[in-house]
Amino acid sequence: MLRDKRSEWLTAAVLVGPFVLIYGVLFVWPTIQMVMLSFTKAPLIGTGDWVGIDNYVKILSHKLFHQAFWNTAYFVLLTVIPNTLVSLLIATAVNRLKGGMQGLVLACFFLPYILPVSVVFLTWNWIIDVQYGLAQVFVRPFNGGEPMSLTRTIPAFMPTVAFVTVWWTMGFNILLFIAGLRNISPEIYEAAQLDNASRWRQFTRITWPLIWPITALVLTIQLIAQLKIFDQVYLFSIGGRQDATITLVQYVYKLAFQQNKGGEAATAAVLLFGMIIILSVLQYQVLRTRGEK
Amino acid sequence: MKNSLRRLALASTAFMALATGAMAQQTVVWWDFLAGGDGVRMKALIDGFNAEHQGEITIEGTTLEWGTPFYTKLQTSSAIGEGPDIATYHLSRIPLAVDSGTLSEITDEDMAGAGISDADFTAAASDAGKVDGTRYAVPFDQHGLILYYNKDMLAEAGLIGEDGLPTGLDGLDNFNAVLAQFTKDGKYGLSTPTGDRYRTIYSLFGQMGGVMFDEAAGGFFPTDEDLAKLTTAIETVKGWVDSGYTPVQVESPAALALFTSQQSPFFIMGNWEIPTFVDLHAKGELFEWGAVELPTLFDTKAAWSDSHAFVIPANAGKEADPEKRAAVLKVIAWMDQHSLDWAGAGHIPAFNAVRDSAEFQALKPQSDYAGFADTAVFDPRTILAGPAAPLGDAWSNYVNPATTGEIEPADAATQMRDDLNGQL
Repeated sequence: MLRDKRSEWLTAAVLVGPFVLIYGVLFVWPTIQMVMLSFTKAPLIGTGDWVGIDNYVKILSHKLFHQAFWNTAYFVLLTVIPNTLVSLLIATAVNRLKGGMQGLVLACFFLPYILPVSVVFLTWNWIIDVQYGLAQVFVRPFNGGEPMSLTRTIPAFMPTVAFVTVWWTMGFNILLFIAGLRNISPEIYEAAQLDNASRWRQFTRITWPLIWPITALVLTIQLIAQLKIFDQVYLFSIGGRQDATITLVQYVYKLAFQQNKGGEAATAAVLLFGMIIILSVLQYQVLRTRGEK
Repeated sequence: MKNSLRRLALASTAFMALATGAMAQQTVVWWDFLAGGDGVRMKALIDGFNAEHQGEITIEGTTLEWGTPFYTKLQTSSAIGEGPDIATYHLSRIPLAVDSGTLSEITDEDMAGAGISDADFTAAASDAGKVDGTRYAVPFDQHGLILYYNKDMLAEAGLIGEDGLPTGLDGLDNFNAVLAQFTKDGKYGLSTPTGDRYRTIYSLFGQMGGVMFDEAAGGFFPTDEDLAKLTTAIETVKGWVDSGYTPVQVESPAALALFTSQQSPFFIMGNWEIPTFVDLHAKGELFEWGAVELPTLFDTKAAWSDSHAFVIPANAGKEADPEKRAAVLKVIAWMDQHSLDWAGAGHIPAFNAVRDSAEFQALKPQSDYAGFADTAVFDPRTILAGPAAPLGDAWSNYVNPATTGEIEPADAATQMRDDLNGQL
């Protein structure tokens, strides 16, 4: 008996060990280092003097931090909800298609997701280009007949980047939703049809509650991903615009790599890290109770 | 016969190997950030060097992404001793690089060993490679803002002088009149990309004699007068936008296309676009074109400028041994001595002997604008300066958007000053 227990432990250690080790070295250790660094006045490379919570006081009262915070929040709002709704809608429609057609349509939606961000940026940069871009055909009527730069006009910037991001990442969400939809037994729908339930009623009373767990997953994954938004904003805003489009990760990048302030950059990163954890836990709690009802 | 020849060849090779045995073959790891036409020409130079130094020195070149990625990678890799043996660098960033401990000193003995000295370069360039009298960089070229023109369009408008160069562009009123003359039927007088206008503005600021940085007098834009000059420079460029001489919003590739598709007779850009036009013209896809110094719109001649230079990263814990150092210096000296090929990329060689040579003087349009090297305005000497540094960030953050009416020029100037001084 004792022997069995011991070998069980051994098996567990062998299976989990490598993961714990890699996780510890690549994630836990750097995180601890980052927190330590946030209490020092260090440059990008090297060590600095202990300054206590000075960095936190400085960052939290920094105008640019607030700007980055609200920009990130705005971007999350612009991407997460539309992305979830559109993905669900497309998934429901695609799920009705049969056989090869379904695969083909799904592949079309999924294709952008596997593209690197630089390719996405180059493609869209040409499409929305103010002089020669195809998208200007659609933009002009809304701008008094004049072409408009979608990346250099501050109010248009975030919606543009959000649109491209939704287009880019939607495929993954659609796949998750399709997986969820396929898990719903067709018999439930048959029963509902016998009762003469309308399509809309079937959707709100059967589909929606049953795929709620998937929706919660999709929302959480997206929230974490979009809070860390950097690549697209960085690529589309090369040069910057009065810092009007700065996001939290960009703020960290700017402090670390442009201003050589390692300590302050670490502080901003710790704040972002804390925000992601708190929001994820909160969201998980809310969504879980909702799902259990 | 054949066999004995081969034996002879083998024997002589062995002998040569013995003779040079004391000096082992060196591999010099090289990093640069040069893409496009610059990259092609640099690669050719590296190949040329390798061919000429077979069995002695081999350069192993890698090209990284220009700007922050390059400089960050160089700094971090140098800090842990994993940097290259030699790297290209902007002279404007030398104070920042020295402050962060990225670079290794290049002594007079190092230079002498390779047969070069400060006297081979202009005083301005060799001084820019030093901090407090200590040398950290060897200059390679000078590059800056120039005015490209469409010779056919200008000739038709009677703006080509007897020397074959554009005339009547000096003075703000004259220049504006010319721009107005070409701005019609959906065409523009001038093409200047939105994201790059700060370089023009810095040039005009220099033409007014503005002082950008004076540590003793309080930092950036030390006097109200300097701030007013910056405001005037921004207003000048904004004026071109407001009058419709140039598009409000235009990205770099499209700005280039405006010029090459004859929708605009002028294009303000760095000299690094020279290869683009040379190649297009050679393929028969471009009109007659040329490039000259920026017109003097205010008091004195001036244009934004910077320099590419060579540096040796400090590589903490793994400093280069004397033989490696000698090889690196040999590479630097060879590159400078062969910088006529580099001039093909539009740059002005920093090496006096090459710049003064008849071959360079015959190079067109390079020699037409080479004069800007003497009146260039460099970034100020501060740890905030240089591409992808806080100064570059502030320019594009405040000054570029002021040309499109997103901020008032005077506010942009004040905000830029306050932001930079806040980082000192």
